[in-house]
Amino acid sequence: MLGRLRDGAVVLLLVLAAVFVLSAIVGDPAGVMAPTDASEEEIARIAHQLGTDRPLLTQAGDYFGGVVTGDLGESTWQNRPALDVIADALPATIRLTLAGIAVAALLGVTFGVLAGARPGSRLDRWANVVATVGLSVPTFWLGLLLIVVFAVQLRLVPTSGDTEWKSLILPAATVGFEHGGRIFQLVRSAVAEEVSKPYVLVARSRGLSHRGVVGRHVLRNSGMLILTTVGWEYVRLWGGAVFAVEVVFAWPGIGQTIITATDRQDFPVVQAGVIVAGAFVVLANLAVDVLYRVVDRRVQVA
Amino acid sequence: MRQESWSWRRGLLVVACLAMVAVACGGDDDDSSGGDTGGSGDDAEPLVIAVGTEPSTLDVQAVNDRNARVFTSNVFESMLGRDDEAEIVPVLAESYESVDDSHWQFQLRDDVTFHNGEPFDAAAAAFSINRIIDPAYETQRTSYIEGIVGAEAVDEYTVEIETDGPNATLPIQMTQIQMVPPEAGAQPDFGENPVGTGPYEFVEWQRGTKISARAYADYWGEAPEIGEFSVDVIPDAQTALSALQAGEVDLVLDILPEQRDLAPESVSVPATEFSYIAFNTHIPELEDPRVRVAMNLAIDKELIAETIYGGEAAPQPGQMLTEDMLGYNADLEAFPYDPDEARDLLADAGYPDGFAITLNVPIGRYSKLEEAAEVVAGQLAEVGIEAELNQLEWNTFREDGRIPGTEAGAMDLKFAWNSNEWFDASRIISHITCDGESSKYCNPEVDDLMAEAGATLDQDARDELYQEVWAILDENPHAIYMLQQNLIYGLSDRLEWTPRLDDEYLVSEMAFG
Repeated sequence: MLGRLRDGAVVLLLVLAAVFVLSAIVGDPAGVMAPTDASEEEIARIAHQLGTDRPLLTQAGDYFGGVVTGDLGESTWQNRPALDVIADALPATIRLTLAGIAVAALLGVTFGVLAGARPGSRLDRWANVVATVGLSVPTFWLGLLLIVVFAVQLRLVPTSGDTEWKSLILPAATVGFEHGGRIFQLVRSAVAEEVSKPYVLVARSRGLSHRGVVGRHVLRNSGMLILTTVGWEYVRLWGGAVFAVEVVFAWPGIGQTIITATDRQDFPVVQAGVIVAGAFVVLANLAVDVLYRVVDRRVQVA
Repeated sequence: MRQESWSWRRGLLVVACLAMVAVACGGDDDDSSGGDTGGSGDDAEPLVIAVGTEPSTLDVQAVNDRNARVFTSNVFESMLGRDDEAEIVPVLAESYESVDDSHWQFQLRDDVTFHNGEPFDAAAAAFSINRIIDPAYETQRTSYIEGIVGAEAVDEYTVEIETDGPNATLPIQMTQIQMVPPEAGAQPDFGENPVGTGPYEFVEWQRGTKISARAYADYWGEAPEIGEFSVDVIPDAQTALSALQAGEVDLVLDILPEQRDLAPESVSVPATEFSYIAFNTHIPELEDPRVRVAMNLAIDKELIAETIYGGEAAPQPGQMLTEDMLGYNADLEAFPYDPDEARDLLADAGYPDGFAITLNVPIGRYSKLEEAAEVVAGQLAEVGIEAELNQLEWNTFREDGRIPGTEAGAMDLKFAWNSNEWFDASRIISHITCDGESSKYCNPEVDDLMAEAGATLDQDARDELYQEVWAILDENPHAIYMLQQNLIYGLSDRLEWTPRLDDEYLVSEMAFG
């Protein structure tokens, strides 16, 4: 357990360092923040206020020190602590990712098991097609399409924003369809492999129905893989869906915040966002590991 | 197995039926298919305006971008304003006059209160002006505070403003310096709790989502028809259009020409936005005015306006001004499309075989500029000028674009838009004078005329001087004068509104119909 925590901390540290180095390379935010007609003196003054004119080592020291104390700098765009900016947007993203992974797991696992239990059947083939489509279409395209069909044409749900409980439906569906595809593929192949094992034949010959075998034995043996797959997809969500889906659906979460902050070259907020997202990924990974251990007591954590 | 394929086929049938039902019920947006938003019955619902980016602050004096103005122009007011013909009219001030070359006095209304109860008087006006010109105060409105030294209250309702020498554009500046309350305006969180004198007062700001306001009960002027409104943040343009179609949003700024038919209603207005391609006159190829005139003749601006902008633009009349702007020269005309003449001029200037040059374009900043640039490059090639397109990310474009023409790395050709919400020819002074911040053009005649115009308060004299400047530029251009662009808005069915000429969005001028 401690080993896992230590690994997680190392990953987080690497993320922090990468963010800092990238921000330093990309350029001086002062030139961008200054009004179009600003003079050199004005730009220099803003750089001084931001602290970007200090030597890199000093800035790095402040940065890492700040992370430890929870001070991730001041948002140059909103003029309040960067961590607050991210913290305000975090709950919306958590809800989106949880809802999204729930839909993805529901679709992916259900169809994955159904298809895997009967490899080669028509259901299997059709489900494969649908899953591949889900994996291949661009997220924003799918989101926009869903909006046009279900919100504009059918008026069943709001087009965008986080105004009522129904607002979560389309964004979660978009995420679910995308990531459900991957989950489906992995679950299906795991189940198909299990089903082809000799013990299944033995159980069937003992009189157990196909459904019974799948339900009782196959699932339990593939359960580990299903769990890790879903967990891994949840982690991947934080790197992808969070951005495209939030922008398309005007969802007020971290993704949209980071994009706007990037556009305004608000480095503190971008850094804070990446750090928080990174921390979440590490946590999610840890949670999956713990769940894994709980579910299968045979697995020993080194 | 049998059981499985039966249920599978059935499922497919069910899905197909649902899909057909969905498509059938969808149909035209214009059928009031009983959605619970939009429709003319819901006048009680607040008006919603969609913007692409959330404002960084609601402190009106700090920022100048349109996303903030959409909200703050309804909550704050200035001493002067503009009517629907863009003429300057009194708002919080009843009258004004220039006392001497560097002093102006404004007589204020005596019946105005701020939304928090603080009275609006000369002390508040002076506070507001001194607040924004204070060097320690960060503002993007730098051009509006230039030349203003300070303000003080002469009596309860008279405020005197001191300028740095004669400043004929002070009234214009006073249309864009908003009045803020002395007590609330001194608080550090004023940007999150804006308080003004306008017809609407701030209610709430849900970060990342929306900013809402309601009509102010003790407003000094006419009560607005619409009781509440909100400015909603919808980053994706297509989503905003969908929201408009679904009746969730009443106004979307900046829709593309080809989206006009998709919106329930749309309206376009010739904006004070002028696209241009600035020359770096310091490079050998562009030194000769004949070359620059040739390049103006080589571009078919009508074609670009028709095909790329769908008619939502018009060639500039030989100057980056419209008829109602001070300095407009009615004798000038747009450069005609004449590639033969262009080739002749180029040959005369010593470039019978043309030359190579780079055309710099920002990405994703101005509507369809990238496409327009490709047409421009093609047309320049017809007269022998090989223009290489260089697309840059906006921040880089802005920085590189300001490298002086005599230094390495300066842009040969810079394609951008310029807005002139001042309705005054002096607005582009920094583009056409020898030491202008955005200028790569140096013509002593122009410099002298601009300086003379800046030193007088006589508006007629200024008008004549600026007309002369443009007459000179007609023969010795600082840019390829492209198009006056339209701004296109998407409106919901229930919104009744005529866009203003000055790119302001006043909910008090809107109504539900």
